[in-house]
Amino acid sequence: MEPSSAVDWMATAVASSRELDDFESVVRLHWPKVFRFALASLRDRHAAESLAQDCFWKAYRARHSFRGEASVATWLMQIAVNLVRDRARDRRWQFWKRAQATAVDAAAAAAWIRDRGASPEDSALIGEQVRAVWDAARNLSERQRTVFLLRFVEDMDLLEIAAATGLKEGTVKIHLFRAVQAIRERVAK
Amino acid sequence: MIEHLSAEQVSQWMIGERTPQLEQHVEECAACRGELAQLESALSQFRTAMRDPAHLAPPPEWREPAPSAARLTWPRLVLAAMALAVLLAAPVSWRVRAHERALREEAARAAQADSQLLESVDSEISQAVPEPMEPLVTLVTWNSSSPEPNQKAQ
Repeated sequence: MEPSSAVDWMATAVASSRELDDFESVVRLHWPKVFRFALASLRDRHAAESLAQDCFWKAYRARHSFRGEASVATWLMQIAVNLVRDRARDRRWQFWKRAQATAVDAAAAAAWIRDRGASPEDSALIGEQVRAVWDAARNLSERQRTVFLLRFVEDMDLLEIAAATGLKEGTVKIHLFRAVQAIRERVAK
Repeated sequence: MIEHLSAEQVSQWMIGERTPQLEQHVEECAACRGELAQLESALSQFRTAMRDPAHLAPPPEWREPAPSAARLTWPRLVLAAMALAVLLAAPVSWRVRAHERALREEAARAAQADSQLLESVDSEISQAVPEPMEPLVTLVTWNSSSPEPNQKAQ
């Protein structure tokens, strides 16, 4: 590693660690990112809120062990990904998911696109596209969905996704490739 | 020359793996450009919908957890147990000491009473005639030449 990049890395690590000193600001800044990832993964508002709270609580308790190797945002997403993974394996959660009243369906997701001056025809087309992607994402495996959401909703690059998921970059690429194939098939219908 | 992009090549394109050959084809083929644009548009709209703050729950008010609840570590538990043991032992120790002090005082009082009694006994023993008989000693003078009282009476 070049000396200058080592200095840069140290400066970034120190800045990231200092960012955690004001935890209230961390919650305010990163809540939307964690919440929408949880919402798109679990498709339930209450469960997403609960998971996001758990995520910040875990981060708060572990803030002294944060070494600044990744950004605070990536670190928080790493915690959120682990929580989503645990939830996906929880058989009680699988049971309650079938009868939940706060579930977000494809129509509700499509309605999130607000009127931005588009014609009724265009709005209908956009709504249909959002519905198709939302539906297709539901049928992805948990890992494929996680990788897909981090790439196409959170705009994270492959290395950041690898850091957040604990997967190798090549594995991330494979999951992403399969996810995009499934989405493409649904959108092309 | 590629006829059209396969499903795999479309996916490759979307995840950023774009070879010069693919780029050249997309530039020349309107049908493939259209397919890619449709998929990119769907993903872009999905992204916009997901990032719309209107449906996102607001962040809850963050409150710093109480340190005692958050940092109940083993060393602290041991210290707390030691402090509790000292607190519990202090009254017992104080009572034991008070009891010992009372016993010592009682023993001192008893010793004092004993010594007073001994002094009074000593003073009584040291007298030749008991105190009630002392006037007789001072009033009656014994004369050896005078007759015995019983002899006088005879």
